Amino acid sequence: MSPVAPLILATFLFCVGVYGVIARRNAVLVLMSVELMLNAVNINLVAFQSLIWQDAPAATGQVFALFIIAVAAGEVGVGLAIVLNMFRNRASVNVDDVDLMRW
Amino acid sequence: MEILDYSWLIVLLPFAAAVIIAFFGKLMPLKGTEVGLAAIVIAWILAILVAVQTFSNGPIEAVEHFFRWSPLGNGFQLELGMYVDGLTSMMFLLVTTVSLMVQLYSREYMLGEERFTYFFAMLSLFTFSMLVLVIANNTLQAIVGWELVGLCSYLLIGFYWEDKSNQDAANKAFLVTKFADVGLIVGVIVLSAGVMDTGLTDTPFNIKQTLDLALSGHLSSGTIILGCLMIFLGAVGKSGQMPLHVWLPDAMAGPTPVSALIHAATMVTAGVFFIARLYPLFAQELVVMNTLAIVGTITLFFAGFVAMVQDDIKKVLAYSTVSQLGYMVAALGVGGYTAGIFHLFTHGFFKALLFLGAGSLIHAVHSNNMSDMGGLRKHMPHTYWTFILGSLALAGFPLTAGFFSKDEILVAGQTWGNNGMWTGNMVLVLGLAGSAVTTFYMARSCLLIFWGDYRGGHAHHGAQDHESHAEVVQGKPHESGWQILTALVSLALLSVPVGLSGGFLWPSDERNFETWTASTEIEGTQYPFIVGEQEAVDHWNEFKAEHLAEGAGGDHVEGEAATAAGDHGAPLAGGDGDVLAAPVLLATEGADGGDAAHATGAVLHGAPEFEPMLAGIALLIFLASVGLAWRIYGRGKPEEDPTFNLGPVTTLLVNKYYLDDLGYRFIVVPVRDKLAALAYWSSQEIIDEAVKGVGGLTKRAAVSTYRTLDQKVIDGGVNGAAFSAAWWSERLKRIQSGNVQRYAAALVIGTVALVLVFAAAAA
Repeated sequence: MSPVAPLILATFLFCVGVYGVIARRNAVLVLMSVELMLNAVNINLVAFQSLIWQDAPAATGQVFALFIIAVAAGEVGVGLAIVLNMFRNRASVNVDDVDLMRW
Repeated sequence: MEILDYSWLIVLLPFAAAVIIAFFGKLMPLKGTEVGLAAIVIAWILAILVAVQTFSNGPIEAVEHFFRWSPLGNGFQLELGMYVDGLTSMMFLLVTTVSLMVQLYSREYMLGEERFTYFFAMLSLFTFSMLVLVIANNTLQAIVGWELVGLCSYLLIGFYWEDKSNQDAANKAFLVTKFADVGLIVGVIVLSAGVMDTGLTDTPFNIKQTLDLALSGHLSSGTIILGCLMIFLGAVGKSGQMPLHVWLPDAMAGPTPVSALIHAATMVTAGVFFIARLYPLFAQELVVMNTLAIVGTITLFFAGFVAMVQDDIKKVLAYSTVSQLGYMVAALGVGGYTAGIFHLFTHGFFKALLFLGAGSLIHAVHSNNMSDMGGLRKHMPHTYWTFILGSLALAGFPLTAGFFSKDEILVAGQTWGNNGMWTGNMVLVLGLAGSAVTTFYMARSCLLIFWGDYRGGHAHHGAQDHESHAEVVQGKPHESGWQILTALVSLALLSVPVGLSGGFLWPSDERNFETWTASTEIEGTQYPFIVGEQEAVDHWNEFKAEHLAEGAGGDHVEGEAATAAGDHGAPLAGGDGDVLAAPVLLATEGADGGDAAHATGAVLHGAPEFEPMLAGIALLIFLASVGLAWRIYGRGKPEEDPTFNLGPVTTLLVNKYYLDDLGYRFIVVPVRDKLAALAYWSSQEIIDEAVKGVGGLTKRAAVSTYRTLDQKVIDGGVNGAAFSAAWWSERLKRIQSGNVQRYAAALVIGTVALVLVFAAAAA
């Protein structure tokens, strides 16, 4: 099977993620967009391993994908904790409101 | 020869001592004297070792070490170095011995003085300076030492600078010798220019090379005459020859140990030493030799008379020193190389002794004047016998040091006269007359000081009396302490053997003062102006060549041995009787001298020679003078001193031949009233105005610099930098918005841009 279709899917997902990170104002949605980008990468890893280097002695791509899923879970945990604290302090999850670290 | 290579230590030890005393002397338990004494003792021991080494080897090739100090341009080099031969080691011995004695003596004599430590630093510095002069292997280094001793002399004459008269004496000494030093420097430059012109060496100031070039005929006679006469002018000033001796009696304003060390034994002999160092050069020209002889004779004869009318004991000794220096110069002027420096050597010891003895007297009596002394032989027995011994040596009593050396000078004059030189006879006759004067004034001094009744005790502490001890001692004078007496006795005991070393009683013909101080240059020198000289030399060379050939062809004698044999060979003496008669010259060389090599005329010195006639005459003169002095002064100080009762003669002598007055009227007054006024006017009107103008210009330049450069350019630059930084930061700070999404967008844009760039680069 050609890797083109998975790569197009991954690119699409990544672009959606980037758009979400830059354009959404809701912090939760920004976090979710980050997850989209991570998963786009996961698709790439798995696709390359299984379609191009399937004879490789170790399944490095899949293992990497598993690691990323684990790290993403942790990251989302931390991120949601920050968002919760933000909401508690400001009663808002709008990222435009948190620009205190500026000139 | 190894010890000779370390001779420089003798020079540097006193210097180290001077520096240490100057910086740390006051902190030391003995106020720095221990450092000075330790250094001079070591230097003295080294000097003895060096002297033994050179003495026991006879005339040696000088040991010369030097390093290139600085380039002079055109490839010529200036050196700093050492030149050690018999003459150098003789001076080492003299300077270190007298310096040692004087330092020991001063520890007691100067006790309680203000500036006690300073005094010892100066003594060490002086010793160093004198040794720099002595060890110099080039004339420039010698000038350095020469000027340094002049500086030390100036500082020590003015040691009691609180008194205006002492300042004046120091200034007088400095200015008079400085005037003469101009001659010295000109002479050295003339000689070095002559050496440079030959192009045969790259060290034009080197003494040995200068002498070699002169002896091989590379220097023109004009160069030699001008150079030698100018150098002699320097010696006239430094060694107190008439008419530039005027500073020496005034120099007695310094402390007495200084008078002994500097103005009697060592520094004033620097001129004589320097002439001796360059003697082969001086011997080339008759006019130079005659100048030496005439100036020396005038000095030795006339200075003695002034000593007869002095009441100040130190002034007596000062004029005596001038007179004895005249003997030395006169001896050099009549071919008596050995005689001159032998007298320098012996005179150094006994004159130092006399001055130190005088200091001991002054210390006890608190007055310089002999009219305040009298009868002191009972109170100061040790000072008495040492002073008498010194006086006998100075007067030339048989078997004392002065007897041998003065005898040699007279014999030198006689020999010179026998070679048809009128200056020789002049030195002989006036030298004998001068010795009568010497004997008379020394006998007068001794009788006034030690015989009769004590006339002092009425302690009048005048202006000149600051040399006295802190506590005023009333009543009877007392003998000095052990340190003064050690110095006196040592010098007194030395006054005899130093004379024997060059006298006819010395057992060895091979190792004596004459062979000691005869350098190889001296051995090879001839008097070109003596008739028959060249013939004799030619004969001698011929003979030597033959002899050498025989030696080499015959029984395998080494070349050197053959030469040595030739030195004592009779054939020349026998074969050329008539030629020999003329150039027997040389100093004390008798016509019957067994030493044929010397009889060739290729020598400037001679072995010790005894002339019974001369010695007899000298002894008669001695006895007559002492008898005369005894008649006048034998029963204490006469009511009216006959030397003050000779009408115009006394006036002339008391006024010191009016030389000081002439100098004052025709040099000091014009310089002070005209030249100094002119200099003041030029200082006020020209230099000050120029300085003012320069100052005004500088101020204007400074103001305009302030206004344009500082205010506009520099301040503008600094302010502009600040303002532009503020302007830019006001705009650039907006990038830091705090909005995370903007940062993320920038990140994405940047990444995309990079990807595009790399893609373009790859494609």
